Amino acid sequence: MTPNASPGATSAPDSQATPEVSLDMQVRLKTEDGQLLLLLPSETNTSEAPTAAASTWTELWQQLKVRLNAGERFWQANAEVQLMASDRLLDIRQLQEIAEALLEVELQLKRVHTNRRQTAVAAATAGYCVEQQPPVSSLSKAPTEKPQSLAEPLYLQMTVRSGVEIRHPGTVVLLGDVNPGGSVIAGGDILVWGRLRGVVHAGAGGNTKSVIMTLQMEPMVIRIAKYVARGPETSPAQFFPEVAYVTPQGIRIGRASDFDKSMLIG
Amino acid sequence: MPRIIVVTSGKGGVGKTTSTANLGMALAKRGRNVAVIDADFGLRNLDLLLGLENRIVYTALEVLAGECRLEQALVKDKRQPRLVLLPAAQTRMKDAISAQQMKQLVEMLGNKYDYILIDSPAGIEQGFQNAIAPAQEGIIVTTPEIAAVRDADRVIGLLEANNVKKINLIVNRIRPAMVLANDMMSVQDVREILAIPLLGVVPDDERVIVSTNRGEPLVLSETASLAGTAFDNIARRLEGEKVEFLDLNPRPETFFSRLRKFFNKKIL
Repeated sequence: MTPNASPGATSAPDSQATPEVSLDMQVRLKTEDGQLLLLLPSETNTSEAPTAAASTWTELWQQLKVRLNAGERFWQANAEVQLMASDRLLDIRQLQEIAEALLEVELQLKRVHTNRRQTAVAAATAGYCVEQQPPVSSLSKAPTEKPQSLAEPLYLQMTVRSGVEIRHPGTVVLLGDVNPGGSVIAGGDILVWGRLRGVVHAGAGGNTKSVIMTLQMEPMVIRIAKYVARGPETSPAQFFPEVAYVTPQGIRIGRASDFDKSMLIG
Repeated sequence: MPRIIVVTSGKGGVGKTTSTANLGMALAKRGRNVAVIDADFGLRNLDLLLGLENRIVYTALEVLAGECRLEQALVKDKRQPRLVLLPAAQTRMKDAISAQQMKQLVEMLGNKYDYILIDSPAGIEQGFQNAIAPAQEGIIVTTPEIAAVRDADRVIGLLEANNVKKINLIVNRIRPAMVLANDMMSVQDVREILAIPLLGVVPDDERVIVSTNRGEPLVLSETASLAGTAFDNIARRLEGEKVEFLDLNPRPETFFSRLRKFFNKKIL
């Protein structure tokens, strides 16, 4: 049995993405054409119901701090940051708090992109360069990003503690543990270089070929695409790197070393 | 400059206030000037544990409102004049003050103190946010239970997000016999999840209840107790001393230890 044989029941991953998992609702930092962009989640996305994603300013700010603390060594000191606020309403105080948070990791807020007039005014008052896009663009639901296959991998160095949720449309590489109560939701694979004790969901967009790899597999719940598996009741006596993948029989867990071989041969 | 430390836990009833009272007293005993602030508005207890309840005239609220001077609100401890308490208001709720005002209070205390300990309320709402706002360091108190550890984990994340990066751990109320019998999480299990430096381990001790009810922190007691020594050691470690962790494992009963116990009982 090859682990990557496509399961009979599910059609190829191109079918509709699972609607309950939206991956674009968190604060994100990304580099585009040598520019460091700070993307804020859009307000309209969360309008349906108060979801788990950032809705209030406090939560947004906490997410930002978590992201900044987890990746400090991935950007150069005093790099300039462009804030992509989309349709989020920000006042001067909030812009200043963002700028302060960036300054703590030696990043400088330079330019603010927004399609809200109030935000543009606030940003201009606070002394940042402003670029105001017409709000129409947000309605057509095609902001700067193309519908590319997967976003670039997210590399984090942190402990995902209880109450923290990492969402990313691409693969997540985590240097640290996922504690009970913490969760990682990725559009691609999830690699945890540490202990996995929380909730993880790989291939959240529907890709059943996604895998979850970790040094120590003691999860509460694992999900890959639409498959769900509970962690074992008793933790094994001995740990070795393991990988979780989807088979026609559901999610299986195996030694990472063996899995590598079967992937190469099969 | 004072060290401003918030004592917090997430879950209630794990011993935040007891730890604050004992730690404050232990530090004062070592000759430090200590201010303890009760940030638990509406459910204040720190004054009870310190035995200072009947000496409160003004609270932090009156100070902020300008109805009294800060010095009037500070309650000096009768046994340890180096320790002062800034009491919370009992009649109000957590949103009676803001994070900004909490910072203001700490600033008003100024440089007269070596330590400012803030006793945080349980939970992660406004009261907690107020308590951590002025803090530079954190002490997480937890008991070896999954609920307490889970909440502690959440709180550590929140502290980190709020720029409190120096966070130490106190594991309270451990029962070595139960750990040995595999009925309780060990300190190692707790540390593995929380992954922060360990400041001390306090054993479960009935005398803590007695001292709490009397309003006399255990570290002041004449007769040594394991829990009291543990708090003393925590204070020393907080000051940067290297102190061996107490050996809490129950000794196997030998003839001599039973004999000693017998005599100890008679004498006391």
